[in-house]
Amino acid sequence: MTRYLVERTFPDGLGLPINQQGADAAATIVAKNAEHGVTWVHSYVTPDKKKTFCIYDGPTPEAIRKVATRNGLPVDSIREVRVLDPYFYM
Amino acid sequence: MELLERDADTARLAAVFGAAKAGRGAMVLVAGEAGIGKTTFVRRFVETQTEALTLIGHCDPLFTPAPLGPLYDIARAAQGPLLAILDSGANRAALFSNILAYLQASARPAVIVVEDIHWADEATLDWIKYLARRLDSLRALLVATYRDDEPAPPLKQLLGELAGLPAVSRILLQGLSTAAVATLAKGKAIDPAALHRQTSGNPFFVTEVLADKSGGIPSTVRDAVLARAMKLSPDGRALLETAAAIGARVNPELLEAVLPAADAALRECIALGILRADGGIAFRHELARTAILGSVDPLRRRSLFRAVLVAAAKKERADLAQLAHYAEEAADANAVKRFALPAAKAASALGAHREAAAQYRRVLRFTDDLPTIERAEILEAFAHECTLIDDLAASIEAYREAAQIGANLNEPERQASALAALAWSLVRNGQNPAAEEASAQAVSLLERQPPSRALASAYRIQAHLRMLDRDRDAAVAIGTKAIDIARGFEDRETVAAAQLVVGAAMLVSGDDAGRAVLDDCLAAAGETGRDDLVALARLNIGSSYGELYRFAEAERELAAGIAFATERDLDHAAHYMRAWLAIVHMYQGRWVEAADLAAAVVDTSSAATVSRIMALAALGRMRTRRGDPGATAALDEALDLAASTATLQRLAPVRAARAEAAWLAGDPAKTIQEAKATLPLAIAHRHRWHIGEFALWLHLAGQDAGSIDECAEPFARQIAGDWQGAAASWRALGCPYEEARALSAGDAGAQLKALKIFNELGAVPAATMLRRAMREAGITSVPRGRRSSTRQDPSGLTRRELAVLDCIADGLSNKSIAAKLFIAEKTVDHHVSSILTKLGAANRTVAAKLARERRSGEADSAK
Repeated sequence: MTRYLVERTFPDGLGLPINQQGADAAATIVAKNAEHGVTWVHSYVTPDKKKTFCIYDGPTPEAIRKVATRNGLPVDSIREVRVLDPYFYM
Repeated sequence: MELLERDADTARLAAVFGAAKAGRGAMVLVAGEAGIGKTTFVRRFVETQTEALTLIGHCDPLFTPAPLGPLYDIARAAQGPLLAILDSGANRAALFSNILAYLQASARPAVIVVEDIHWADEATLDWIKYLARRLDSLRALLVATYRDDEPAPPLKQLLGELAGLPAVSRILLQGLSTAAVATLAKGKAIDPAALHRQTSGNPFFVTEVLADKSGGIPSTVRDAVLARAMKLSPDGRALLETAAAIGARVNPELLEAVLPAADAALRECIALGILRADGGIAFRHELARTAILGSVDPLRRRSLFRAVLVAAAKKERADLAQLAHYAEEAADANAVKRFALPAAKAASALGAHREAAAQYRRVLRFTDDLPTIERAEILEAFAHECTLIDDLAASIEAYREAAQIGANLNEPERQASALAALAWSLVRNGQNPAAEEASAQAVSLLERQPPSRALASAYRIQAHLRMLDRDRDAAVAIGTKAIDIARGFEDRETVAAAQLVVGAAMLVSGDDAGRAVLDDCLAAAGETGRDDLVALARLNIGSSYGELYRFAEAERELAAGIAFATERDLDHAAHYMRAWLAIVHMYQGRWVEAADLAAAVVDTSSAATVSRIMALAALGRMRTRRGDPGATAALDEALDLAASTATLQRLAPVRAARAEAAWLAGDPAKTIQEAKATLPLAIAHRHRWHIGEFALWLHLAGQDAGSIDECAEPFARQIAGDWQGAAASWRALGCPYEEARALSAGDAGAQLKALKIFNELGAVPAATMLRRAMREAGITSVPRGRRSSTRQDPSGLTRRELAVLDCIADGLSNKSIAAKLFIAEKTVDHHVSSILTKLGAANRTVAAKLARERRSGEADSAK
């Protein structure tokens, strides 16, 4: 599995409320991801909710794009990343 | 005995069969270690399905099993038309489709069981794949059992391919729990926890231990079996060993012939529970047979097999593969030759090429004192089978030995025919220079003799090599010689194969007259039943148009070719055409389809090297153009593989993709290096499209591109500074990305247009580069990058599918949709099933309802 950073832009802001509706939407995304071997690890969202930086594990960038399309999510860029832990050196 | 802890698995199997009875045919793989109870589990299920047509076949644990053995079991048990179908001598394709028709015509839903497919021959595995791909037309449940510990490569490959089919699911049988082991051990002086620990809950192991009344727990299942067998009298033991040599299923007449009047001994073995006699004599489990046979000392084992061989050889309708197996165990070289050779031919005729190769290998191993000319013949037959199962290394070695024998015996025809065949294996293995050498040697040997069929064949292969190297004139000249000679011998297959070469060589160099030659080839190949040649011709037509940037024609031909090859399970041709279709879609700007197709081929471990190179080139280029990671890895592997072929048709697409990647990464030095690497080869073959692309990269990287006379028109125009002309040419060819690339070299208006196209395609690196250039040029109103607000369809429906869905919502039939959208009805079928899958809708009524809801939702949000 490769780890990817996926950058997305939502011109009208990300609509994933913290309630049952939001939970359902997230669950749907997770289920559709799983069909293609993709795992959504977590995301960082800017305060205006117009930009997200999402960490994913997946087999290929094509799989990341495929689930994005299936979930109706935009993709600005996909980058392969590795973890760097500063406390590792202390 | 009661079946313990299988209720949930049985319920799953029943549910799948329930759906199958309603018309959604399905396959269930039942996996688990030896002794876990796969057979018992499936048998119990089948026994409860009294209303179903049940067909059960077994694969035998032979090194080299008889081809389609399980199908013969099924046919014999069914006693209907199936046996007639199998004995009709029809070729494999006809056989498979007749069996399919038989199943389709069955009034009752069917349960088809194939046991122990880890031992299956290649033809049986192919049949399972064939059936699994067509389950949607059947009211049937296909069950296959196998041991999941280290499946052999052929089974692994099948499992990989089945994993992609929605109709296939898997049940993994687990060991018994401590509680279940305790139930079984009730009343015995044995500690259930210790028994569970030692046996891991393996039901066969558990029952073997429990059958031994001494109360101890042996450390392995083998020890448990042998402990039980210790109780037999000497006669009983002798019978058991003979039965073990005969096989998993013990033919009673054979047993009687080897050991006459042994009824008492047989009854003893059955009473002890090692053999069972329900419907024929058999070991209770293969583990027991293996344990018994393994305990026999080598000398006695050999004499046991000698006795079995003598008796079996006298039987009528004896199974050749079984006899060859006995002969090998008996170390009887003459018998190996006598039985393995015809077994090899029979296996080959049924398409069980792996088994055919194994039988030939057996003969070669046992008979190194054969008269050499006969050995050369067997080597060639063996090598041919190896090419069919893609064991190219073994094939190359065997052809080389055969050629050497021909040389030693001063038999030039034999030497040459082996060399010509060797050349083909070498090409397929990506060793083109060595192939050229072998082919040239074959031709020069045969040219000293009067014209022969062998010479026609050798010319054909040499012409093919020239064609692959895009050396048109030589390919046409040599190919024409092959056609003329082959016609003289009425060798229609060689004529068709040579026409393919000549036609493809012409077409790929832009000579449309080649199409007529290829159509002749298609007709001839079709008449002689050479489906593989038909697929190869279609593949060459499609990829030739692709190389000429004639993408609409390429798409049409490749789609037809893929349908043809898929229908006939000609997987290699299908993979190659899919890889090429990915390239075509990339140029057409259909990037989602391109990347998905290319990724799927790259993901297919069984795809041949040439398919992999083309798919990697497409995938690497798609990743480059979308700015996705993984482009370098794909293009590095592609270059490694392409370099070993040293041919233009592999190197050019890879080098072009690498030049583009370097250019987009802002590295002109590397762009020049990549473009220059293969430019001389392209010039040597006067390939205008490849020359043009390399010249353009040199030009863009600030180098003198040299003469543009040899460049294809759109490239020549752009290099000459005519960006309008270049853009117009690309537009006419239907290549949006290339059009935008040409417009990028234009004025501010053209650049804005280019930016719009790049943004629509999602060509992030090209768009970023262009925006920077525009800003540096002082253009202030450069639009920002794509804001990703382009609403993609949430279900991932393509534009075409959305159009079809619209029609469904309006209640149109497939026929009316086909008429309305100007597409074939079959294509509509295809779109509809894809739409149903993507929407998760059970049928078109549900899909129509969803579509109407979406429409009203969109109308709301537009308010």
